[in-house]
Amino acid sequence: MKDATMENMNIVLCGLGGQGILFMTKVLAQTALGKGIPVMGAETHGMAQRGGSVVSHLRLGEVEGSLVRAGTADILLALEGNEAYRSLPYLGRGGRLYANASPEVFPNPKVAPYLEKHHMVCRCTEASRVAMEHRSPMSSNLALIGFFSGFEEGPFTFAALRETVERISPEKFRETNLKIFDTCHTIAIGHRRDK
Amino acid sequence: MGNEAVALGLLEGGCQVVTSYPGTPSSEILPGVIRLVKSEGLNTYTEWSTNEKVALDNAYAAAISGKRAACCMKQVGLNVAADSLMSAAYLGTVGGLVIISCDDPGPHSSQTEQDTRLMARLAKVPVLDPSGPEEAREMARIALDISEEFKVPVILRPAIRVCHARQNLSWDPLQSNETKAAFEKDPTHWAATPRFRFLLHKELNRKLDEISRRFEELDGINFHSLEPGKTYPFGIVTGGVPYAVVKDILKEEGRTDIPVFKIGCPYPFPERMAEQFLSACEKVLVVEETDAVIEYFLRERKKVMGRLSGHVPAEGELIPQVIHDAMNGVLKSLDLPLLGEGNEGEAAALAKQLELPVRRPTLCPGCPHRASFYAIRKAQPKAIFTSDIGCYTLGLNLGGVDTCLDMGAGITMASGFYHAYAQDGVEQPIVATIGDSTFFHSGTVGLLNAVYNDARFVLVILDNQITAMTGMQPTPALGILADGSKGNTITLEKVVAGCGVDFIEVVDPYDLKAMTAVVKKAARYSMDPSGGIAVIIARHPCVIAYRQQALPDRKKVVVTDDCVECNLCLERFECPALYHDDDLERTAVDQALCIGCGVCLNVCPKGAIVEA
Repeated sequence: MKDATMENMNIVLCGLGGQGILFMTKVLAQTALGKGIPVMGAETHGMAQRGGSVVSHLRLGEVEGSLVRAGTADILLALEGNEAYRSLPYLGRGGRLYANASPEVFPNPKVAPYLEKHHMVCRCTEASRVAMEHRSPMSSNLALIGFFSGFEEGPFTFAALRETVERISPEKFRETNLKIFDTCHTIAIGHRRDK
Repeated sequence: MGNEAVALGLLEGGCQVVTSYPGTPSSEILPGVIRLVKSEGLNTYTEWSTNEKVALDNAYAAAISGKRAACCMKQVGLNVAADSLMSAAYLGTVGGLVIISCDDPGPHSSQTEQDTRLMARLAKVPVLDPSGPEEAREMARIALDISEEFKVPVILRPAIRVCHARQNLSWDPLQSNETKAAFEKDPTHWAATPRFRFLLHKELNRKLDEISRRFEELDGINFHSLEPGKTYPFGIVTGGVPYAVVKDILKEEGRTDIPVFKIGCPYPFPERMAEQFLSACEKVLVVEETDAVIEYFLRERKKVMGRLSGHVPAEGELIPQVIHDAMNGVLKSLDLPLLGEGNEGEAAALAKQLELPVRRPTLCPGCPHRASFYAIRKAQPKAIFTSDIGCYTLGLNLGGVDTCLDMGAGITMASGFYHAYAQDGVEQPIVATIGDSTFFHSGTVGLLNAVYNDARFVLVILDNQITAMTGMQPTPALGILADGSKGNTITLEKVVAGCGVDFIEVVDPYDLKAMTAVVKKAARYSMDPSGGIAVIIARHPCVIAYRQQALPDRKKVVVTDDCVECNLCLERFECPALYHDDDLERTAVDQALCIGCGVCLNVCPKGAIVEA
């Protein structure tokens, strides 16, 4: 298993069609590019995009293929609990799982021992609830990115991610997007303190 | 995106004409060309053609007038354009002509997993197979050069993982190609009769021999990592997307003991290099998508393993895990050191144990097609429902789609079913559905045929005023061209009338009662001895493309305790915003998904779905 370094990182993003996985992938890719890290990614389009399970891959560093091989993802970002379980085979030993789910019910007791055994870390928050509270139910993706920004993974620092969100959000949604992002970043900081 | 990289390569190669019909995974190439044409101020002509054959014929005419041209489509689109392709291969070209046919191993969004490399072999035209976006860009340019030099069309076949891969690219300013159209008349060539076609075939074979030799000289198309004089117990022959995966795996695992032969041009096949590679390796594994092509060309059966020999799955996408496992299987059988195994098997077993809900693709909340299918089923519950290719194929979730064969078959199969039953004296109701874009693509010919041969059925044209599934491209009915400028509007009603249909009614499917009544009326007309084919145009804008226009009057929808859990709304109407709430013991509305179309207000037999 290879280590996650600043230059080399495998990320898998999953959820349901319509949840904004492509935008989330774009935020991460643009942030890495901004730091001069080459990126390769794979997206889902067409029939597969209409409401079904959607998986997006993002690889940082000098790589040839756009797909993450099972068991080699450093980070798994899941916009929905069941989709997180479905994509779990991607996550490698020591990987971090970020999920839009309530810590009270996630991870499932059947899954928790597996995560522990392979030294995987699970960090979850109710991103959808935050998005709803801001009257923007389609923004769970930004909420999860905001939460993720609290853990400073490799090139994905709070400042860099926030700058990307500000830059690529459409004018109309910029303010709300940043509010949601910041709210979830604060939740993450609290989460880290508790641990 | 890979498709934008292809667009860039075409324009770097001085492409002056680009035509296309949208289809996943090819749809973003033409828009990519248009963006660059606008930002760089180029003179390139672009068009969304009505179908792939039309696109190829248009590009071909430009090419034989001396210009550089390209046409883009998905792999099954090449079937539609096959008639042009076969003939164009014989006749050859003057300016460079590249046909981009995007493959869909999986398949993710296609009816088959067919391999464009086999179509290239069938048509006898060279094919280039890129492994990633950057290489797709280079190959697009090389394809134009080779095509012009050898006067033969060239196919570029990026697979879905190239088309939809994201990679950062940079480029120098682009310049317009100023070559002027100068078609030189030569009817014995451009309109050759069969006697001359034999000579043209001979000429094509000669060109292919020359191209094969040229590719052996060109760096970076076909190459291997053999060290001179060394022999190996095991080597890998690969190309396209699987090459990228194999290279990553070998790098990650630090395996320098396995040589790799990369084939960037599988046809004409690099015979000499293949001979060299095979003689240096005791066994070789062929890793290729989607079908076996390279494996067929490698003639030493005892040495070669791959899809045909069962060492690689015979169907489906070769995702990295599949390639990893195939490699390990062969390494094990050869008693060679294995690749590392991870924890993924355990996770997959765990995920299976959780019995996760299967997420099938479904029509969007508020989709006008849902309303149409609901009304059609209600009005004609016993009909055979022939349908077609587009978002509305998902009408099968509502029981409104029984068949989906190929573009245009919603209509042609309806007439086929009619005659099959009528022959036995059976009056079988048939309701065909087809989208507006698909109707323009290949619906009219079938409709003409059905009217001419006196078939009887109801045809519902689902007119959402856009090509939705492939990413919102305009249709001829919109009168908007590919680059956003104004074209001419083709009126659907007039086309239908021109096909000889006398019953044409336009209805908004959001009005379920009106839609249901029209379907009933149309069915009566189609069964009447003095009637004929009845066409209904179900017109309502796509809710994704035209949010405001499609939803002028949004409603807040809730479910009351009158709900008796009959689940009719969940099964027959199947809106993603309606779900069964186990705690409330009734249907509920997911307000995050509901967009307030209000169509479901007329669905519940108990009247439990109401406006708040």
